[in-house]
Order: sequence, then C-alpha cells, then structure tokens
Amino acid sequence: MRLSAPWRVVGHTLLLMLCLSVLVPMVITVGTAFKPSNEVYSILPWPTAPTLDNFVRIFADTPFAIYAWNSIGTTGLRVAGQLLFAVLTAYAFARWDFPGREPLFMLVLGAMMIPHQLTMIPIYILVAELQWFDTWRALIIPNLAMPFGVFLLRQHFRSFPKEIFDAAEIDGAGHWRALWLVVLPNLRPALAALTIILFIDTWNEYFWPLLVTDTPESRTIQVGIRQFLEEDFDDYGALMAGLTLASLPALAIFFFFQRQVMDTFVASGIKG
Amino acid sequence: MTAVGTATPSAGAYAPALARLRRTLGNRRLVPYYYLAPMVVLLGLFTYWPFVHTVYLSLTEWNLRPDTPLKFVGAANFAEITDNRLFQDALRNTLIYIAGSIPLKVLLPIPIAVFLWSLGPRGQVYRSVIFLPTLLSFVVVSVVFLWLLNPIGGHAQQFFGLFGLSFPNVLGQPDSALWTILLISTWKIIGFNTLLYIAGLASINRDYVEAMRIDGAGDWAVLRHLIWPLLTPTTFFVLIATVIFSIQQVFTPIDIMTEGGPANGTTNLFYMVYQYAFVVFNVGYGAAGTVMLFVLLLAITLIKVRLLDRHVHYDQ
Repeated sequence: MRLSAPWRVVGHTLLLMLCLSVLVPMVITVGTAFKPSNEVYSILPWPTAPTLDNFVRIFADTPFAIYAWNSIGTTGLRVAGQLLFAVLTAYAFARWDFPGREPLFMLVLGAMMIPHQLTMIPIYILVAELQWFDTWRALIIPNLAMPFGVFLLRQHFRSFPKEIFDAAEIDGAGHWRALWLVVLPNLRPALAALTIILFIDTWNEYFWPLLVTDTPESRTIQVGIRQFLEEDFDDYGALMAGLTLASLPALAIFFFFQRQVMDTFVASGIKG
Repeated sequence: MTAVGTATPSAGAYAPALARLRRTLGNRRLVPYYYLAPMVVLLGLFTYWPFVHTVYLSLTEWNLRPDTPLKFVGAANFAEITDNRLFQDALRNTLIYIAGSIPLKVLLPIPIAVFLWSLGPRGQVYRSVIFLPTLLSFVVVSVVFLWLLNPIGGHAQQFFGLFGLSFPNVLGQPDSALWTILLISTWKIIGFNTLLYIAGLASINRDYVEAMRIDGAGDWAVLRHLIWPLLTPTTFFVLIATVIFSIQQVFTPIDIMTEGGPANGTTNLFYMVYQYAFVVFNVGYGAAGTVMLFVLLLAITLIKVRLLDRHVHYDQ
C-alpha cells in the first residue's frame, strides 16, 4: 500500500523526529563517556579530544568491575537454570499423557498470572530466613521457574511430530537421551530466541536485585548505578562510561541478531 | 553382640521394602513427574506459597524484625491505608499514568506502524532505531534523563540557554514531574508497541487494500474501515500490556528520578507498596497494598494471557 504524497511527508517528518529523540540522548551519553573532564559540561554532545580516562576511572575508583561480574554470573546461571527447567517441563507435557496432566499444566500457566512483584514480601522474608540475603543465591534461585518459557516452548512442541519420539524409542534411545539428541537440536531456534529474551530481561532487571543486595559483594550493575546516585557520585564522565558499558551487552546482541531479537520480543510481548 | 544381633534381622526386614521402593520409584509411569518436579517445587515455593502468605500478612502487623512477634489485626490495615493521604495520591497517580498512557503508548503507535508498514522493507532503519530504547535498562534511561534534565548545567538547560531561555525544573513540580516520567516511559516503550502493531498489520492481506483503492477509497477510509477493525485484537493486546507496564515498570524511573516526590506527586500504588514494606518496614501495610494491587493486576493479566495464547497462534 502506498500513501499519498502529503501523508508520506508527514510520516517521514514524524519518524525522523522520533528517531532523533531516541538517538540524541544516546549520542550525548556515549559522547560524554569519551569526554575529558573539562568538557563534560560543554553543550557539544561529542568530545573534541576523545579519551578513555572515564572508562579507566569507573573501574579504578568504583566497584564497577565487581558489579559487572555479579551481573554476568547471576544472569548466566539464572538463564541457564530457567532454560533447563522450562525444557524439562515442556518436554514432559509434550511427550506423555499422564494422570493430573491438565491440572499440572494449569498450575504452571496460572503462575504467569501472578506477577513477580506481588509475591516479593514473603520471598524476601524467606530469603532472609535462609540467610541468602546479599548473595548470588538470592538473585538466582527464587527466579528459576519461568512459566512463560514453558508456554513458549509448548507452542513449538505443538508443531513437533510425535513420531520423532517413537522413532527415537525404536532406535533404543531412552526419554532422557531422546531429549538431548533428538528434541533439543530441533528446538534450537526457539531456544536461541528464548535465551536472548531471558538474558536481556535479567540483565536489565532492577527491582529484585534492589531488594536483596546490600553490598558490592552481590550488587548487580543496575543496582550499582543507583548506588552511584545515592553516594552523590559527581564524576559524570565516569558515570556515563558506566551507563554505556551497562547497555553494551543488549545492544551488541541486537547488532548481530537484529531480526531475531525484534521478532522474538514481538512474539513474546515481554518488554523491559 | 546383642546390638549386631538385633541389627541384622531388622536390616533383613527392610530389604524387601527397599526393593519395593526402588521398583515403585523406577516405575515408568512416574517418569513424567520427575521431569515436572523441579518446576512444580519452584513454583510452589516462590509463587503460590508467597501468594497465600501475602494475603495472610495483609491481616497482620509486623515490622520485619525476627525478634518482634507478628500481631493479627484483621482487615484493619486495609481501612488504615485507604484513609491515608499517600494511598489516595498513589491511586490518583496510578490512574493518571494509565489514562495518559493510552493516547501516548497505545494510540500514537498505530499511525506510526501504518506508515512503516506502507514503506515495506525500506522502513527497516526506522524500525531498528525506534526499537533501541526497548533494549536499554530503565535504570540507564532514568539516569540519562536525570542528567539531561538537570536544572544546573543539564543539556536541556544549556540548549534553552542558547536562545536566552530558561528550561523549567520539570522534576521539581508534582504535575510536571509525573508527566515527565510518563513521557520518558513513552520514549522507552513506543518503538516496541509500534512493532507489535506492525506484526498485527502483517496479517492483513494487501489485496484488500488494493481492492479498496480501486473502488476509490482514500487513505483515511482505508485506515478507518479496513485497518482499524482488522487491528482490533492487536490494539486490545497492546492496551492490556501497556496498562500492566504502566503499573509495574514505572517503578524504576520513580525510584531513580523522584523517589515518589515531590509531595507524592509521582508515586504510584506499586511504589507505595515498596515504601511501606521495605523503607518503613510496615509489612502489614505493604502486604495489604499488595493484595489491592493483586486484584487489579490479576483481572488485567487474566485477559492478557488469553490474548497471548491467540497472539502467538497468529504468528505461526
């Protein structure tokens, strides 16, 4: 469908303005990250004498490296666990008919209707009782169940011919080996998509880490950035360098897998 | 001797029971339950039990300290919260956040999506750029805007200064602070919502459009009588997702940029719950606020899950 000329002009103008509004703050942030300290307050968005000093200082003067390590470690372990449990669950529902299948399935899907934020007080109390407060365990374990992952994988299992299970069985593969050798390779695109979403979502998470972390020992990048504000950290060049680094993983994934990331986000309806 | 003497026959007595147990556990019919066990245990421990526990806590008074006893007070928390000024402000703001989100995040993306759809593959650069804020964390976004809007030396202030103007301290006034947060959350989500609409548009057969064109229909007629009705399921889905987003996700800009102020001007129900439970440690108030949010969100989420089921179907 082609719009008439005046509408095309209006459309392009609107879109260009929207794109500018997106890009200008990003350019200023990244530009400031490379500015020497005497240029930080200059109105020019980019540096005249680019420097890496800000990146050096954020690592040297703050626990940023520990925050980054906590983010990488907890995100990696949590996403791996979420994928594993989602695959096991979806596989059981797809492969077997067993007594209680429907109620159990409703139990899993029903959990999607209970937003995480609304169960936080009892989980917080539980975490405190288990003495997990301010540890990686508190960040990872309460978040390992991902009903949405089961839901998404089920969609893919639906288009999965049941004969594959039978064929694997005839070839002497048990249910466990069939899962790893036959099922998972066929699910690779779905798993890649799910991994991307879970990674970006977990990496950007703020609320739960804010509640259960207390020291640099377990603080993630997102909570670490808030901590800079709390401490009236006034080295804005270094702060912008930190923001740039914190955004880098998600942007890098997007750069390499643009279409997949956009399609996956749309298909899931999840948003950070 | 006696100890060994008694131990041997009892071990012998247990052996068949152990073998029976092993046979039972090894039963093929139990296999599916082993696969499901981790998920069921995790959901029970970290979703369903806390759900019940929250309701119980909402009827008690407790300050989160292990050495103070928990006191049962019945429905008193609910009455006390709703009487409170903070709750009334938070409820009002929550409704403004939702109402303001509908034109900005639900309706505005529709013409943008239609335009991008009409461009076809040539609109790819636009799509990629407006999608970028979806990938950024709300913490990063909030800190960047806090810095740009800083009344002393922020870029907005400097830019206005070029024209001899002064940029108002938008985060210093309750009303403008709320709208600032609303606009920033629009900035964050508008590209994503536009993509949802483009996905919805992709299922519209372009031949229909051509047919209407041949019959002499203008742009507006096509939009009004073909695209809008066919897009209704997507619009409804975006609406629900946006309402949930407006309740939950604005927590981050509120916490980073204003901490609910000035004068409760930007707080919402979710931020209120956070402050009750984790800032002043009034667990009963926090849980009671959570239960009220629960009822609201549960109703919305129920509709969303039904739509999600249909939405994913469309994609396949």
